[in-house]
Amino acid sequence: MKPCIALTKGRLENQFIEFFQSLSYDVEPLINKGRKLRVETDEFQFVFAKGVDVTTYVEHGIADLGIVGEDILAEFQPDVYNLLPLPFGNCRMALATEKGKDWPARKRRIASKYPNITKEFFRKKGESVDIVKLEGSVELAPILGLADGIVDIVETGNTLKENGLVVKEEFFEFSARCIANRSSLKIKRDLLAPVIKSFQKGEVVR
Amino acid sequence: MFLPAGSQDEIGNRLNNRSRAYELFRKITFNRNYKQISTPVVEYANTFTNKHAGMDLRNMLKWFSKEGEIEVLRPDWTTAIARALVNQHPSQLKWSYQGSVFRSDKDGIESRQAGIEVVHTPTFLGESECLLTAVSYLKELQIDSYLIELGHTGIFDELTAPLQLDEIELEKLRIAMHDKRKDEVYQIASDNKEIAGQLTELVDAFGSFDIIEYYEKHWKDNDRLLEIIQHIKQLASLLKESGVEDVLVDLGRVKNLPYYCGTMFRGFLKDNGATCFSGGRYDKLYEQFNERISAVGLAFDVDVLSEKLDITDQYEKICILASEESHVYAETIRQSYSNCIVDIKYELVNSDEFDKVIQIVKDDNNYRVVEK
Repeated sequence: MKPCIALTKGRLENQFIEFFQSLSYDVEPLINKGRKLRVETDEFQFVFAKGVDVTTYVEHGIADLGIVGEDILAEFQPDVYNLLPLPFGNCRMALATEKGKDWPARKRRIASKYPNITKEFFRKKGESVDIVKLEGSVELAPILGLADGIVDIVETGNTLKENGLVVKEEFFEFSARCIANRSSLKIKRDLLAPVIKSFQKGEVVR
Repeated sequence: MFLPAGSQDEIGNRLNNRSRAYELFRKITFNRNYKQISTPVVEYANTFTNKHAGMDLRNMLKWFSKEGEIEVLRPDWTTAIARALVNQHPSQLKWSYQGSVFRSDKDGIESRQAGIEVVHTPTFLGESECLLTAVSYLKELQIDSYLIELGHTGIFDELTAPLQLDEIELEKLRIAMHDKRKDEVYQIASDNKEIAGQLTELVDAFGSFDIIEYYEKHWKDNDRLLEIIQHIKQLASLLKESGVEDVLVDLGRVKNLPYYCGTMFRGFLKDNGATCFSGGRYDKLYEQFNERISAVGLAFDVDVLSEKLDITDQYEKICILASEESHVYAETIRQSYSNCIVDIKYELVNSDEFDKVIQIVKDDNNYRVVEK
Protein backbone atom coordinates (compact mmCIF):
# COMPACT_ATOMS: atom_id res chain seq x y z
CA MET A 1 0.00 0.00 0.00
CA LYS A 2 1.37 3.40 -0.99
CA PRO A 3 1.38 6.29 1.48
CA CYS A 4 -1.29 8.87 0.70
CA ILE A 5 -0.22 12.52 0.88
CA ALA A 6 -2.76 15.38 0.79
CA LEU A 7 -1.44 18.56 -0.79
CA THR A 8 -2.77 22.08 -0.45
CA LYS A 9 -3.74 23.26 -3.94
CA GLY A 10 -2.24 26.39 -5.45
CA ARG A 11 0.99 28.09 -4.43
CA LEU A 12 1.94 25.56 -1.74
CA GLU A 13 1.40 22.74 -4.21
CA ASN A 14 3.93 24.21 -6.65
CA GLN A 15 6.44 24.91 -3.92
CA PHE A 16 6.01 21.39 -2.56
CA ILE A 17 6.58 19.84 -5.99
CA GLU A 18 9.81 21.81 -6.34
CA PHE A 19 10.87 20.73 -2.84
CA PHE A 20 9.90 17.12 -3.52
CA GLN A 21 11.90 17.13 -6.73
CA SER A 22 14.94 18.42 -4.84
CA LEU A 23 14.67 15.27 -2.68
CA SER A 24 14.98 13.17 -5.89
CA TYR A 25 11.39 11.92 -5.90
CA ASP A 26 9.53 11.42 -9.18
CA VAL A 27 7.29 14.48 -9.66
CA GLU A 28 6.42 14.08 -13.34
CA PRO A 29 2.83 12.82 -12.70
CA LEU A 30 2.28 15.75 -10.32
CA ILE A 31 3.38 18.34 -12.84
CA ASN A 32 1.28 16.85 -15.63
CA LYS A 33 -1.83 16.13 -13.57
CA GLY A 34 -4.14 18.49 -15.50
CA ARG A 35 -7.36 18.92 -13.53
CA LYS A 36 -7.11 15.61 -11.73
CA LEU A 37 -7.52 15.79 -7.96
CA ARG A 38 -5.93 12.37 -7.37
CA VAL A 39 -2.60 11.37 -8.79
CA GLU A 40 -0.55 8.24 -8.27
CA THR A 41 3.21 8.04 -8.66
CA ASP A 42 5.33 4.89 -8.37
CA GLU A 43 5.74 5.45 -4.66
CA PHE A 44 2.81 7.62 -3.46
CA GLN A 45 -0.81 8.56 -3.85
CA PHE A 46 -1.50 12.29 -3.84
CA VAL A 47 -4.78 14.10 -3.30
CA PHE A 48 -5.23 17.82 -3.86
CA ALA A 49 -7.51 19.92 -1.68
CA LYS A 50 -7.95 23.30 0.00
CA GLY A 51 -5.74 23.77 3.06
CA VAL A 52 -8.42 23.19 5.66
CA ASP A 53 -9.68 20.13 3.78
CA VAL A 54 -6.14 18.72 3.77
CA THR A 55 -6.31 18.69 7.58
CA THR A 56 -9.73 17.01 7.47
CA TYR A 57 -8.52 14.24 5.15
CA VAL A 58 -5.49 13.64 7.36
CA GLU A 59 -7.49 13.78 10.60
CA HIS A 60 -9.89 11.13 9.26
CA GLY A 61 -7.05 8.92 8.04
CA ILE A 62 -7.96 9.17 4.35
CA ALA A 63 -4.53 10.70 3.82
CA ASP A 64 -1.56 9.59 5.92
CA LEU A 65 0.42 12.81 5.55
CA GLY A 66 -0.56 16.34 4.63
CA ILE A 67 1.21 19.47 3.47
CA VAL A 68 -0.49 22.58 4.79
CA GLY A 69 0.25 26.13 5.91
CA GLU A 70 0.61 26.64 9.65
CA ASP A 71 -1.99 29.41 9.48
CA ILE A 72 -4.59 26.70 8.78
CA LEU A 73 -3.34 24.56 11.66
CA ALA A 74 -3.42 27.50 14.08
CA GLU A 75 -6.91 28.51 12.96
CA PHE A 76 -8.62 25.11 12.87
CA GLN A 77 -6.59 23.11 15.43
CA PRO A 78 -7.07 19.71 13.78
CA ASP A 79 -6.34 16.56 15.81
CA VAL A 80 -3.24 15.47 13.88
CA TYR A 81 0.50 15.11 14.45
CA ASN A 82 2.07 18.43 13.47
CA LEU A 83 5.44 16.96 12.60
CA LEU A 84 7.78 19.49 11.07
CA PRO A 85 8.19 22.79 9.25
CA LEU A 86 9.02 22.68 5.56
CA PRO A 87 11.37 25.08 3.79
CA PHE A 88 8.68 26.92 1.84
CA GLY A 89 5.41 28.78 2.23
CA ASN A 90 6.98 31.32 4.58
CA CYS A 91 4.50 34.02 5.61
CA ARG A 92 3.66 36.30 8.51
CA MET A 93 0.34 37.08 10.13
CA ALA A 94 -0.20 40.80 10.47
CA LEU A 95 -2.63 43.38 11.76
CA ALA A 96 -3.07 46.09 9.10
CA THR A 97 -5.18 49.15 8.54
CA GLU A 98 -5.70 51.98 6.10
CA LYS A 99 -2.65 54.20 5.66
CA GLY A 100 -2.81 57.43 7.66
CA LYS A 101 -5.85 56.37 9.66
CA ASP A 102 -5.85 56.35 13.45
CA TRP A 103 -7.51 53.62 15.42
CA PRO A 104 -10.96 54.72 16.66
CA ALA A 105 -11.44 55.36 20.38
CA ARG A 106 -14.27 52.77 20.54
CA LYS A 107 -14.13 48.96 20.46
CA ARG A 108 -12.39 48.02 17.22
CA ARG A 109 -13.88 45.94 14.46
CA ILE A 110 -11.43 43.58 12.74
CA ALA A 111 -12.05 41.67 9.51
CA SER A 112 -10.27 38.37 8.92
CA LYS A 113 -10.36 34.97 7.32
CA TYR A 114 -8.87 33.77 10.60
CA PRO A 115 -11.32 34.58 13.42
CA ASN A 116 -9.68 32.21 15.91
CA ILE A 117 -6.15 33.51 15.33
CA THR A 118 -7.51 37.07 15.53
CA LYS A 119 -9.41 36.37 18.74
CA GLU A 120 -6.34 34.78 20.33
CA PHE A 121 -4.08 37.68 19.24
CA PHE A 122 -6.31 40.33 20.82
CA ARG A 123 -7.01 38.15 23.87
CA LYS A 124 -3.27 38.06 24.57
CA LYS A 125 -3.16 41.84 24.22
CA GLY A 126 -6.04 42.12 26.68
CA GLU A 127 -8.30 43.87 24.18
CA SER A 128 -11.91 43.06 23.26
CA VAL A 129 -12.68 43.42 19.56
CA ASP A 130 -15.53 42.52 17.24
CA ILE A 131 -14.46 40.15 14.49
CA VAL A 132 -16.02 40.11 11.01
CA LYS A 133 -15.37 36.80 9.26
CA LEU A 134 -14.62 37.15 5.56
CA GLU A 135 -13.71 34.48 3.03
CA GLY A 136 -11.29 36.47 0.88
CA SER A 137 -10.14 39.92 -0.40
CA VAL A 138 -9.96 40.96 3.23
CA GLU A 139 -8.08 44.13 2.23
CA LEU A 140 -11.37 45.59 1.00
CA ALA A 141 -12.91 45.70 4.47
CA PRO A 142 -11.13 48.80 5.89
CA ILE A 143 -11.30 50.63 2.56
CA LEU A 144 -15.05 50.17 2.27
CA GLY A 145 -15.63 50.87 5.95
CA LEU A 146 -16.68 47.38 7.00
CA ALA A 147 -13.88 47.15 9.57
CA ASP A 148 -11.22 49.28 11.23
CA GLY A 149 -8.44 46.83 10.44
CA ILE A 150 -7.68 43.36 9.19
CA VAL A 151 -5.72 40.36 10.36
CA ASP A 152 -4.33 38.47 7.39
CA ILE A 153 -1.29 36.69 6.04
CA VAL A 154 1.43 38.78 4.44
CA GLU A 155 4.08 37.34 2.18
CA THR A 156 5.63 40.28 0.33
CA GLY A 157 3.30 43.05 1.49
CA ASN A 158 2.50 44.10 -2.10
CA THR A 159 -1.24 43.39 -1.91
CA LEU A 160 -1.55 45.52 1.22
CA LYS A 161 0.45 48.34 -0.33
CA GLU A 162 -1.52 48.38 -3.59
CA ASN A 163 -4.73 48.65 -1.59
CA GLY A 164 -3.52 51.50 0.57
CA LEU A 165 -3.04 49.48 3.75
CA VAL A 166 -0.09 49.43 6.15
CA VAL A 167 1.05 46.80 8.63
CA LYS A 168 0.58 47.91 12.24
CA GLU A 169 1.93 44.78 13.83
CA GLU A 170 3.32 41.45 12.73
CA PHE A 171 2.81 38.64 15.21
CA PHE A 172 3.17 35.14 13.78
CA GLU A 173 5.80 33.86 11.36
CA PHE A 174 5.15 30.51 9.84
CA SER A 175 5.81 28.13 6.96
CA ALA A 176 4.23 25.09 5.37
CA ARG A 177 4.24 22.04 7.63
CA CYS A 178 4.03 18.29 7.29
CA ILE A 179 1.21 16.77 9.32
CA ALA A 180 0.36 13.11 9.90
CA ASN A 181 -2.65 11.07 10.88
CA ARG A 182 -2.29 9.89 14.48
CA SER A 183 -2.90 6.21 13.74
CA SER A 184 -1.20 6.02 10.34
CA LEU A 185 2.09 7.25 11.78
CA LYS A 186 2.12 4.23 14.07
CA ILE A 187 0.50 1.56 11.92
CA LYS A 188 2.30 2.47 8.70
CA ARG A 189 5.52 3.53 10.41
CA ASP A 190 7.74 1.50 8.09
CA LEU A 191 6.21 3.19 5.04
CA LEU A 192 6.06 6.73 6.40
CA ALA A 193 9.31 7.00 8.35
CA PRO A 194 11.58 7.23 5.24
CA VAL A 195 9.40 9.97 3.70
CA ILE A 196 9.34 12.02 6.89
CA LYS A 197 13.07 11.54 7.30
CA SER A 198 13.67 12.82 3.77
CA PHE A 199 11.49 15.89 4.51
CA GLN A 200 13.63 16.50 7.60
CA LYS A 201 16.80 16.27 5.55
CA GLY A 202 15.28 18.71 3.07
CA GLU A 203 14.65 21.03 5.96
CA VAL A 204 18.31 20.87 6.98
CA VAL A 205 19.42 21.65 3.40
CA ARG A 206 17.58 24.92 3.74
CA MET B 1 -38.65 16.36 11.12
CA PHE B 2 -34.89 16.73 11.39
CA LEU B 3 -32.22 15.56 13.80
CA PRO B 4 -29.51 17.70 15.39
CA ALA B 5 -26.00 17.26 13.93
CA GLY B 6 -24.34 14.18 15.37
CA SER B 7 -27.60 12.42 16.34
CA GLN B 8 -28.90 9.50 14.34
CA ASP B 9 -31.56 6.81 14.15
CA GLU B 10 -30.22 3.32 13.77
CA ILE B 11 -31.67 0.11 12.39
CA GLY B 12 -30.96 -3.54 11.76
CA ASN B 13 -27.49 -4.97 11.58
CA ARG B 14 -25.81 -2.06 13.21
CA LEU B 15 -27.88 -2.57 16.33
CA ASN B 16 -27.54 -6.37 16.20
CA ASN B 17 -23.79 -6.03 16.01
CA ARG B 18 -23.68 -3.61 18.89
CA SER B 19 -25.85 -5.84 21.08
CA ARG B 20 -23.58 -8.74 20.21
CA ALA B 21 -20.49 -6.70 21.15
CA TYR B 22 -22.11 -5.80 24.49
CA GLU B 23 -23.22 -9.42 25.10
CA LEU B 24 -19.75 -10.79 24.49
CA PHE B 25 -18.26 -8.11 26.70
CA ARG B 26 -20.62 -9.08 29.51
CA LYS B 27 -19.74 -12.74 29.03
CA ILE B 28 -15.97 -12.15 29.03
CA THR B 29 -15.99 -9.83 32.05
CA PHE B 30 -18.44 -11.99 34.03
CA ASN B 31 -16.21 -15.02 33.51
CA ARG B 32 -13.19 -13.00 34.64
CA ASN B 33 -14.89 -12.08 37.94
CA TYR B 34 -15.84 -8.46 37.16
CA LYS B 35 -18.86 -6.94 38.87
CA GLN B 36 -21.06 -4.65 36.80
CA ILE B 37 -21.52 -1.03 37.76
CA SER B 38 -23.57 1.72 36.21
CA THR B 39 -23.67 5.44 36.93
CA PRO B 40 -26.38 7.93 35.93
CA VAL B 41 -26.32 9.67 32.57
CA VAL B 42 -26.82 13.08 34.24
CA GLU B 43 -24.15 14.29 36.68
CA TYR B 44 -22.82 17.56 38.05
CA ALA B 45 -20.21 19.10 35.74
CA ASN B 46 -17.86 19.53 38.67
CA THR B 47 -17.38 15.75 38.91
CA PHE B 48 -15.54 15.97 35.59
CA THR B 49 -14.11 19.49 35.61
CA ASN B 50 -12.51 19.60 39.07
CA LYS B 51 -8.72 19.88 39.14
CA HIS B 52 -8.21 16.14 39.64
CA ALA B 53 -10.33 15.09 36.66
CA GLY B 54 -9.49 18.21 34.63
CA MET B 55 -11.85 17.70 31.70
CA ASP B 56 -12.88 20.59 29.46
CA LEU B 57 -16.41 21.88 30.13
CA ARG B 58 -16.62 23.26 26.59
CA ASN B 59 -16.88 19.74 25.15
CA MET B 60 -19.71 18.64 27.43
CA LEU B 61 -23.46 18.70 26.83
CA LYS B 62 -24.61 20.87 29.69
CA TRP B 63 -27.37 22.97 31.18
CA PHE B 64 -28.23 24.72 34.44
CA SER B 65 -30.32 22.89 37.03
CA LYS B 66 -33.12 24.73 38.83
CA GLU B 67 -30.65 25.39 41.65
CA GLY B 68 -28.18 26.98 39.23
CA GLU B 69 -25.71 24.08 39.20
CA ILE B 70 -24.22 23.03 35.86
CA GLU B 71 -25.31 19.51 34.98
CA VAL B 72 -23.89 17.45 32.13
CA LEU B 73 -24.55 14.29 30.19
CA ARG B 74 -21.84 11.80 31.25
CA PRO B 75 -18.75 12.72 29.19
CA ASP B 76 -16.48 10.01 30.66
CA TRP B 77 -16.94 6.71 32.49
CA THR B 78 -13.75 6.47 34.51
CA THR B 79 -14.30 9.72 36.41
CA ALA B 80 -17.94 8.85 37.14
CA ILE B 81 -16.99 5.39 38.34
CA ALA B 82 -14.27 6.77 40.62
CA ARG B 83 -16.95 8.92 42.24
CA ALA B 84 -19.26 5.92 42.62
CA LEU B 85 -16.61 3.48 43.86
CA VAL B 86 -15.75 5.64 46.85
CA ASN B 87 -18.99 4.35 48.39
CA GLN B 88 -18.27 0.70 47.58
CA HIS B 89 -16.52 -1.82 49.77
CA PRO B 90 -12.84 -2.04 48.76
CA SER B 91 -12.94 -5.83 48.68
CA GLN B 92 -14.44 -5.74 45.18
CA LEU B 93 -11.44 -5.18 42.90
CA LYS B 94 -12.77 -5.54 39.37
CA TRP B 95 -15.61 -3.54 37.85
CA SER B 96 -17.13 -3.47 34.40
CA TYR B 97 -19.49 -1.00 32.76
CA GLN B 98 -21.18 -0.35 29.46
CA GLY B 99 -23.14 2.56 28.06
CA SER B 100 -22.88 5.85 26.27
CA VAL B 101 -20.72 8.91 26.76
CA PHE B 102 -21.64 12.29 25.31
CA ARG B 103 -19.15 14.80 23.98
CA SER B 104 -19.69 17.67 21.57
CA ASP B 105 -16.12 17.55 20.19
CA LYS B 106 -16.65 14.08 18.69
CA ASP B 107 -18.15 13.32 15.29
CA GLY B 108 -21.28 11.86 16.80
CA ILE B 109 -22.42 13.40 20.07
CA GLU B 110 -23.09 9.98 21.61
CA SER B 111 -20.56 7.18 21.57
CA ARG B 112 -20.88 3.79 23.14
CA GLN B 113 -18.29 2.29 25.39
CA ALA B 114 -17.72 -0.86 27.39
CA GLY B 115 -14.93 -0.85 29.90
CA ILE B 116 -13.26 -2.20 32.98
CA GLU B 117 -11.68 -0.73 36.09
CA VAL B 118 -9.31 -2.67 38.33
CA VAL B 119 -8.68 -1.12 41.76
CA HIS B 120 -6.71 -1.94 44.93
CA THR B 121 -4.57 -4.33 42.89
CA PRO B 122 -0.76 -4.54 42.56
CA THR B 123 0.52 -2.52 39.58
CA PHE B 124 1.59 -5.29 37.22
CA LEU B 125 -1.31 -7.58 38.05
CA GLY B 126 -3.87 -4.80 37.44
CA GLU B 127 -2.34 -3.69 34.15
CA SER B 128 -1.87 -7.27 32.90
CA GLU B 129 -5.48 -8.05 33.76
CA CYS B 130 -6.68 -5.04 31.73
CA LEU B 131 -4.54 -5.87 28.71
CA LEU B 132 -5.36 -9.56 28.75
CA THR B 133 -9.07 -8.82 29.11
CA ALA B 134 -8.70 -6.68 25.98
CA VAL B 135 -6.90 -9.49 24.14
CA SER B 136 -9.50 -12.00 25.22
CA TYR B 137 -12.42 -9.75 24.22
CA LEU B 138 -10.96 -8.97 20.79
CA LYS B 139 -10.41 -12.69 20.23
CA GLU B 140 -14.04 -13.40 21.17
CA LEU B 141 -15.11 -10.75 18.64
CA GLN B 142 -12.86 -12.48 16.08
CA ILE B 143 -10.89 -9.28 15.54
CA ASP B 144 -7.30 -10.28 15.01
CA SER B 145 -5.70 -7.49 12.99
CA TYR B 146 -4.87 -4.98 15.68
CA LEU B 147 -1.94 -3.37 17.39
CA ILE B 148 -1.51 -2.56 21.07
CA GLU B 149 0.47 0.52 22.03
CA LEU B 150 2.09 1.04 25.43
CA GLY B 151 3.30 4.33 26.88
CA HIS B 152 4.07 5.84 30.29
CA THR B 153 3.42 9.31 31.69
CA GLY B 154 6.49 9.07 33.96
CA ILE B 155 8.96 9.48 31.09
CA PHE B 156 7.84 13.02 30.27
CA ASP B 157 7.59 13.88 33.98
CA GLU B 158 11.11 12.62 34.70
CA LEU B 159 12.75 14.29 31.71
CA THR B 160 11.05 17.66 32.18
CA ALA B 161 11.52 17.92 35.96
CA PRO B 162 14.98 19.56 35.75
CA LEU B 163 13.62 22.22 33.35
CA GLN B 164 11.57 23.71 36.20
CA LEU B 165 9.01 25.11 33.77
CA ASP B 166 5.97 26.94 35.09
CA GLU B 167 2.57 25.33 34.61
CA ILE B 168 1.79 27.16 31.36
CA GLU B 169 5.12 26.36 29.70
CA LEU B 170 4.93 22.74 30.84
CA GLU B 171 1.46 22.43 29.30
CA LYS B 172 2.77 23.94 26.05
CA LEU B 173 5.56 21.38 26.07
CA ARG B 174 3.09 18.58 26.74
CA ILE B 175 0.95 19.69 23.78
CA ALA B 176 4.03 19.94 21.52
CA MET B 177 4.96 16.37 22.53
CA HIS B 178 1.34 15.25 22.01
CA ASP B 179 1.49 16.71 18.49
CA LYS B 180 4.99 15.27 17.90
CA ARG B 181 6.04 18.77 16.98
CA LYS B 182 9.79 18.48 17.37
CA ASP B 183 10.75 22.06 16.51
CA GLU B 184 8.51 23.45 19.23
CA VAL B 185 9.57 20.81 21.76
CA TYR B 186 13.19 21.83 21.21
CA GLN B 187 12.38 25.51 21.42
CA ILE B 188 10.46 25.27 24.70
CA ALA B 189 13.15 23.13 26.35
CA SER B 190 16.07 24.98 24.73
CA ASP B 191 17.41 26.45 27.99
CA ASN B 192 18.74 22.98 28.67
CA LYS B 193 20.17 21.72 25.39
CA GLU B 194 20.74 18.19 26.68
CA ILE B 195 17.14 17.73 27.80
CA ALA B 196 15.85 19.49 24.67
CA GLY B 197 17.81 16.94 22.63
CA GLN B 198 16.49 14.02 24.66
CA LEU B 199 12.89 15.20 24.35
CA THR B 200 13.09 15.71 20.58
CA GLU B 201 14.63 12.27 20.22
CA LEU B 202 11.75 10.91 22.28
CA VAL B 203 9.24 12.23 19.74
CA ASP B 204 10.44 9.51 17.35
CA ALA B 205 10.76 6.83 20.03
CA PHE B 206 7.90 4.67 18.84
CA GLY B 207 8.30 1.17 17.48
CA SER B 208 8.64 -2.38 18.63
CA PHE B 209 11.03 -4.23 20.95
CA ASP B 210 14.01 -2.59 19.22
CA ILE B 211 12.98 0.73 20.78
CA ILE B 212 12.64 -0.88 24.22
CA GLU B 213 16.09 -2.44 23.96
CA TYR B 214 17.67 0.79 22.74
CA TYR B 215 16.20 2.85 25.61
CA GLU B 216 16.95 0.18 28.18
CA LYS B 217 20.63 0.73 27.40
CA HIS B 218 20.25 4.47 26.89
CA TRP B 219 18.62 5.02 30.29
CA LYS B 220 20.76 2.58 32.27
CA ASP B 221 22.07 5.35 34.55
CA ASN B 222 18.67 6.84 35.38
CA ASP B 223 16.94 4.61 37.92
CA ARG B 224 13.44 6.03 37.37
CA LEU B 225 13.55 5.82 33.56
CA LEU B 226 15.13 2.37 33.70
CA GLU B 227 12.37 1.21 36.01
CA ILE B 228 9.73 2.56 33.60
CA ILE B 229 11.26 1.02 30.48
CA GLN B 230 11.64 -2.33 32.21
CA HIS B 231 8.01 -2.16 33.33
CA ILE B 232 6.94 -1.47 29.74
CA LYS B 233 9.15 -4.32 28.56
CA GLN B 234 7.51 -6.68 31.03
CA LEU B 235 4.02 -5.72 29.77
CA ALA B 236 5.10 -5.94 26.12
CA SER B 237 6.57 -9.41 26.73
CA LEU B 238 3.35 -10.49 28.44
CA LEU B 239 1.36 -9.42 25.39
CA LYS B 240 3.77 -11.12 23.02
CA GLU B 241 3.62 -14.36 25.02
CA SER B 242 -0.17 -14.08 24.94
CA GLY B 243 -0.10 -14.11 21.15
CA VAL B 244 -0.38 -10.40 20.32
CA GLU B 245 1.68 -10.08 17.17
CA ASP B 246 2.02 -6.34 17.01
CA VAL B 247 3.02 -4.62 20.24
CA LEU B 248 4.13 -1.03 19.85
CA VAL B 249 5.68 1.30 22.39
CA ASP B 250 5.52 5.07 22.10
CA LEU B 251 7.89 6.44 24.72
CA GLY B 252 7.13 10.00 23.57
CA ARG B 253 3.42 9.66 24.26
CA VAL B 254 2.13 12.09 26.87
CA LYS B 255 -1.12 11.88 28.76
CA ASN B 256 -4.18 13.04 26.83
CA LEU B 257 -6.38 12.94 29.93
CA PRO B 258 -5.10 14.87 32.93
CA TYR B 259 -5.72 12.07 35.40
CA TYR B 260 -3.43 9.49 33.79
CA CYS B 261 -0.36 8.70 35.88
CA GLY B 262 1.72 5.74 34.79
CA THR B 263 1.15 3.17 32.09
CA MET B 264 -1.08 4.16 29.16
CA PHE B 265 -2.39 1.75 26.57
CA ARG B 266 -4.32 1.89 23.36
CA GLY B 267 -5.49 -0.54 20.69
CA PHE B 268 -5.60 0.33 16.99
CA LEU B 269 -7.38 -1.64 14.29
CA LYS B 270 -4.83 -2.11 11.54
CA ASP B 271 -7.13 -1.84 8.53
CA ASN B 272 -8.73 1.54 9.26
CA GLY B 273 -6.52 2.91 12.04
CA ALA B 274 -9.46 3.37 14.41
CA THR B 275 -8.74 3.33 18.14
CA CYS B 276 -10.68 0.34 19.46
CA PHE B 277 -9.73 0.75 23.12
CA SER B 278 -7.75 3.09 25.31
CA GLY B 279 -6.94 3.33 28.95
CA GLY B 280 -4.26 3.44 31.58
CA ARG B 281 -3.39 4.03 35.19
CA TYR B 282 -5.14 6.81 37.07
CA ASP B 283 -4.38 6.44 40.78
CA LYS B 284 -4.35 10.24 41.02
CA LEU B 285 -8.03 10.50 40.24
CA TYR B 286 -8.77 9.07 43.69
CA GLU B 287 -6.72 11.75 45.46
CA GLN B 288 -9.80 14.00 45.29
CA PHE B 289 -11.45 11.58 47.73
CA ASN B 290 -8.33 11.53 49.94
CA GLU B 291 -7.67 7.98 48.89
CA ARG B 292 -4.33 6.57 47.82
CA ILE B 293 -5.17 3.51 45.80
CA SER B 294 -4.05 1.68 42.72
CA ALA B 295 -6.50 2.12 39.83
CA VAL B 296 -6.20 1.11 36.19
CA GLY B 297 -8.75 0.59 33.46
CA LEU B 298 -9.62 0.74 29.82
CA ALA B 299 -12.65 1.45 27.67
CA PHE B 300 -13.54 -0.17 24.38
CA ASP B 301 -15.13 1.88 21.64
CA VAL B 302 -18.16 -0.31 20.99
CA ASP B 303 -19.12 1.65 17.87
CA VAL B 304 -15.72 0.94 16.31
CA LEU B 305 -15.79 -2.73 17.33
CA SER B 306 -19.34 -3.43 16.23
CA GLU B 307 -18.58 -2.07 12.77
CA LYS B 308 -16.13 -4.94 12.41
CA LEU B 309 -18.77 -7.57 13.19
CA ASP B 310 -21.19 -9.13 10.79
CA ILE B 311 -23.27 -11.47 12.83
CA THR B 312 -26.37 -11.89 10.69
CA ASP B 313 -24.41 -13.76 8.03
CA GLN B 314 -23.51 -16.39 10.59
CA TYR B 315 -27.15 -17.47 10.94
CA GLU B 316 -29.14 -19.52 8.51
CA LYS B 317 -32.39 -17.75 7.52
CA ILE B 318 -35.42 -19.96 7.27
CA CYS B 319 -38.94 -19.16 6.14
CA ILE B 320 -41.83 -21.31 7.31
CA LEU B 321 -44.77 -20.93 4.95
CA ALA B 322 -47.94 -21.50 6.94
CA SER B 323 -51.54 -20.35 7.05
CA GLU B 324 -53.91 -19.01 9.66
CA GLU B 325 -54.88 -22.61 10.53
CA SER B 326 -51.34 -23.99 10.61
CA HIS B 327 -49.71 -21.06 12.41
CA VAL B 328 -49.65 -22.79 15.81
CA TYR B 329 -48.08 -25.88 14.26
CA ALA B 330 -45.52 -23.67 12.47
CA GLU B 331 -44.60 -22.14 15.81
CA THR B 332 -43.78 -25.63 17.14
CA ILE B 333 -41.60 -26.27 14.07
CA ARG B 334 -39.68 -23.07 14.86
CA GLN B 335 -38.36 -24.77 18.03
CA SER B 336 -36.34 -27.24 15.96
CA TYR B 337 -34.27 -24.42 14.44
CA SER B 338 -32.91 -22.88 17.62
CA ASN B 339 -29.74 -21.42 16.06
CA CYS B 340 -31.38 -19.96 12.97
CA ILE B 341 -33.35 -16.87 12.05
CA VAL B 342 -36.87 -18.23 11.50
CA ASP B 343 -39.71 -16.20 10.04
CA ILE B 344 -43.28 -17.44 9.64
CA LYS B 345 -45.10 -16.13 6.58
CA TYR B 346 -48.41 -16.91 4.88
CA GLU B 347 -47.10 -15.94 1.46
CA LEU B 348 -43.57 -15.87 0.08
CA VAL B 349 -42.80 -12.64 -1.78
CA ASN B 350 -39.02 -12.81 -2.07
CA SER B 351 -37.40 -16.24 -1.69
CA ASP B 352 -33.87 -14.77 -2.15
CA GLU B 353 -34.18 -13.37 1.33
CA PHE B 354 -33.96 -16.89 2.86
CA ASP B 355 -31.51 -19.77 2.79
CA LYS B 356 -34.28 -22.31 3.16
CA VAL B 357 -38.06 -22.24 2.70
CA ILE B 358 -40.27 -24.90 4.23
CA GLN B 359 -44.00 -25.23 3.79
CA ILE B 360 -46.60 -26.63 6.17
CA VAL B 361 -49.03 -28.83 4.27
CA LYS B 362 -52.12 -30.62 5.56
CA ASP B 363 -52.72 -34.28 4.73
CA ASP B 364 -55.67 -36.13 6.26
CA ASN B 365 -56.02 -33.62 9.07
CA ASN B 366 -52.30 -33.92 9.88
CA TYR B 367 -49.70 -31.28 9.27
CA ARG B 368 -46.35 -32.11 7.72
CA VAL B 369 -43.35 -30.12 6.57
CA VAL B 370 -42.22 -29.94 2.95
CA GLU B 371 -38.92 -28.33 1.99
CA LYS B 372 -39.23 -26.12 -1.06
